[in-house]
Amino acid sequence: MPIRVVLAEDSYLVREGVRRLLETEPDIDLVGVCEDYDSLLEAIGSADPDVVLTDIRMPPTGTDEGIRAAERLRQAHPATGVVLLSQYADPAYALAFLEHGTEGRAYLLKERVADLDHLLAAIREVAEGGSVIDPKVVETLVTARSQATQSPLTRLTPREREVLSLLAEGKSNAAVADGLVLSERAVEKHINSIFAKLGLPEAREAHRRVKAVLLFLADQR
Amino acid sequence: MVTRPVPVLIVDDQAFFRSAARAVLAVMPGFAAVGEAWSGEEAVARVEELSPELVLMDIHLPGISGIEATRRIRAAHPATAVMLLSTYKAEDLPADARECGAIAYLNKEDFEPEVLERIWTDHQPVG
Repeated sequence: MPIRVVLAEDSYLVREGVRRLLETEPDIDLVGVCEDYDSLLEAIGSADPDVVLTDIRMPPTGTDEGIRAAERLRQAHPATGVVLLSQYADPAYALAFLEHGTEGRAYLLKERVADLDHLLAAIREVAEGGSVIDPKVVETLVTARSQATQSPLTRLTPREREVLSLLAEGKSNAAVADGLVLSERAVEKHINSIFAKLGLPEAREAHRRVKAVLLFLADQR
Repeated sequence: MVTRPVPVLIVDDQAFFRSAARAVLAVMPGFAAVGEAWSGEEAVARVEELSPELVLMDIHLPGISGIEATRRIRAAHPATAVMLLSTYKAEDLPADARECGAIAYLNKEDFEPEVLERIWTDHQPVG
């Protein structure tokens, strides 16, 4: 019997891409395609899927709808598997998602979705109650765990870490902006957020920058 | 009168997004994907070869960026329109994204048939 899948993703491009991939698979029956949290809950109720394949952030709040849906499923439909698609390997999301067990749960980065075999393997695995965690997510979790007690760097977002690693290479704001194809203003916003999260008080800009880079380099050892 | 669909080149380093963009174009009778490229350099070469009227160009690419590729394409083929795409907010883009000759910037989250149609129609000269 084919695996009944409900897909929830607010980005039209990703949704149509995934729909196109799944519709070609004989052992997958795409029984619902949703764009937000409410329609996802409705589809779960009406289509009774074996697996829900969902984005994390969707309307109405654009924060953690996918994780909340997974939590509701754990209570109301414990046999339904969930494949969570995430833009970043974010330890906080991964921990929230896996807090009550990994059974029937997969956490994949969206970049993996391009690999149909990988996505199908995750869907089949959670349908059977198994679990699949993206290696990059595991790596982030292990790093976060080992650093949790000593490093404030774990508070940084993946993008902020990227900015900080470029600062550590001695790059100017303009060079960081070039490297990440961002505006200088966006880079400044990231840097201010890094300073705040690392608890570096407003002193001379150069001092804060050096301290942030030193913290980063110490963390790499 | 039967109108020929607009030939489109899709440029993205991620195969998934290339495939997704193809899926979107497949439901749009006015557009037809004629080719794909995964880097800025390849995009420039494919424009030479395929003469698309529209290029959907990811910004963050291996090698030259989508912005530089757009600049080169527009310099060599002024009739080819380029639409920039990425996952960044418009206000986070570098200034040269606005000066490279692209007809528009679109966040991938907002990429939908109606939006693409509207941008293309607005781009066409009146009359």
